[in-house]
Amino acid sequence: MSHLAAGKTAGAKEAAGLRYPSNGKTIYHRPLNRTKTAELSQSSFAYLFSEMVTYAQRRVTGIQELEKRLNLQGHPIGLKLLDLLLIREPARSQTRPLNIISLLHFIKINIWQHLFGRQADRLEKSSNPDTPDEYMIVDNEPLVNAYVSVPREMSQLNCAAFVAGIIEGVCDGAAFPARVTAHSVGGKEEGEMWPGKTVFLVKFQPEVLEREALIGRA
Amino acid sequence: MFFRTIFALIIINKAGGLIYNKTFHEAGLNKISTNDYLVLAGTFHGVHAITTRLNPVKAPSNRTSMQSGILTRPDPPSGLEVLESENFRLQCFTTLTGIKFLLFTDTTQANVDLTIRRIYEMYSDYVMKNPFYQLEMPIRCDMFDRKLLSYIREINNR
Amino acid sequence: MSYYFAVIGTQDNPLFEYEFGTSKQGGDGQLRFSDQVRHLNQFVLHSSLDIVEEIQWTNGQLYLKAMDKFFNSYISCFITGGNVKFLLLHQPPGANSSNVIGGVGGIAATTTRSTSIGANPTSPQTEEAVKNFFTEVYDNYVKAIMSPFYKANMEIKSPVFRSRVAAAGRKYL
Repeated sequence: MSHLAAGKTAGAKEAAGLRYPSNGKTIYHRPLNRTKTAELSQSSFAYLFSEMVTYAQRRVTGIQELEKRLNLQGHPIGLKLLDLLLIREPARSQTRPLNIISLLHFIKINIWQHLFGRQADRLEKSSNPDTPDEYMIVDNEPLVNAYVSVPREMSQLNCAAFVAGIIEGVCDGAAFPARVTAHSVGGKEEGEMWPGKTVFLVKFQPEVLEREALIGRA
Repeated sequence: MFFRTIFALIIINKAGGLIYNKTFHEAGLNKISTNDYLVLAGTFHGVHAITTRLNPVKAPSNRTSMQSGILTRPDPPSGLEVLESENFRLQCFTTLTGIKFLLFTDTTQANVDLTIRRIYEMYSDYVMKNPFYQLEMPIRCDMFDRKLLSYIREINNR
Repeated sequence: MSYYFAVIGTQDNPLFEYEFGTSKQGGDGQLRFSDQVRHLNQFVLHSSLDIVEEIQWTNGQLYLKAMDKFFNSYISCFITGGNVKFLLLHQPPGANSSNVIGGVGGIAATTTRSTSIGANPTSPQTEEAVKNFFTEVYDNYVKAIMSPFYKANMEIKSPVFRSRVAAAGRKYL
C-alpha cells in the first residue's frame, strides 16, 4: 500500500484524469468473487432495459437496425462474461471450450445460470442438411421480455436481440465467430403454454466448421 | 342477480382522457359507444376535481405538527372514492401520479380494494416497464390485457 | 534472471508488456538484458505465438507450460478464455545471451544454487511459480477488462495494473 501511496502523487500528475479513491483502494483490490451470489431487483433491470430499447430506437431506419443495435449493446458483455465465469470456476475445472458442443453447453448452463438463475431450456442442432452450422438455443420465457409488449406494427421485433448479442460476444471471444439472432416462436393462441418462447439461432462461420473437422480428425 | 362479479375497468390519465377501457362481463352493464366512454371519463374527471375541493373538514393547524418534531404534511383531500347504486358499485383509486382506476363491480363484491391494488400492480409492471408505451397515451399492451383478463376471469368464475 | 512479460490480444497485437528481473535468490530485481537482446526478445516472443495457436486447440488447459525454447530462453504461456495470451520469456543467468549478432550480453554470473528458480526453467518449482504468477495476473487482467470503457483488444494503460503485475512478479518470480 505504501507503494501505491508513493505512486499517488506522481500518478495524479502524469496520468491525467486518473483519480484514486481517498482510501487508496482501487477496483483492483476488490475480489472478483464478492458479487457471485449477489441479487438484483428485476424491476430495476426492467426499467434500465426499457431505456436501452428506447435509446436504441432513436433515428433508426427499421426493425433490423434496431435489433442490430441491441445486439451490439450485448456483445461486449459476452466478452467479459466469458473470462469472468472462467475465473470463478474452481481451479481444477478451468478449461476453455475447445469444440462447438462444449461451447454451447457452457453457454446453456453457465451463462444462463449467471444471467437468469436457471438453465436454458433446450439446445438443438439444425436438422437441415443445407445448414449444418446452425444450432438453436431455446428459451421458453426470456427474462428480458417479461414486461415488454411489442406493438402490432413491430411484431417482428424481439427484444431478446440483446441476449443474442451477449451470446455472440461469448462465441466471438472464444474464437468461434458466429452470428446469433433471436426469433420468437410462441404463438398467439389462447392455449399456448409459452407465448414468449424464443429461439436463439447460432450460425457459425465456415472456418469454425473446418477447424472442427481438422481437430476431429487429429 | 349477479353475484360478486366485476363488470368493467376504466383508466383515466392526468388530463382526464380515457386511456383504457375493458368490459369483463357483458350482461351487467348497458353497452355504450366508445364516444360515450370518452364522455363518461371526462365527466368523472371533472366531478372528481370538484369533490376534491368540497372538503368540510378544516385542515389541522400547524402547531400540532411542529410539536411532534417531524414536519408532517396533512393528507391532501381526496376526491370521490365510491359511488354506489342499487345495481352496481363504482370504486375509484387515485394514484400519486394522477392516474384514476375506475372499477365497476356488483354491489356484493368483496375485497374490491385488494382487486384494485392488484390491477395497479399489473399496470405498473406491464405498462410502465414497456419500452413502447408513451406516458398518458392509450394503453395498447398485449401483456397487460392478457394478465388482466386472466386475473379478472378467475375472480368472476369463482 | 530476467523476465519479459507480454499480453497479446486476439489479433496478435500487444496489449501490455513489462520487463523485470527476479528478486529471489539474491537477485536484485534489476534487468539483466542488454539493449540488443531486448529488441530480440520481442521477436522471439511473438514468433512463439504460432506454437501457441497450434497447441491451443488440442489442450483445454489455461496454463501451457514452457512450450518454446530459443537458445537458452524459455517461453511459457497462459491462455485466457477470451483467447488472449500471456507470454513470459525467461532467461537463466550465467549463460551467453541469445544474441547471435554478436556482443556478449551484460548478464552477470550470479552465484545461484542449481535448484533455484532462475537456473532451472523447466523444473516443477519454476512451473509452479510461473503458474501462480500467471494466475495472479489473470485475476488482475479480468478486473481490468471488466471496465465498461474497455473495448476488445484495447491497450491496458492503467498504472495500477502495471504496479500489480510488478508486485506479482516480485512475489512469485
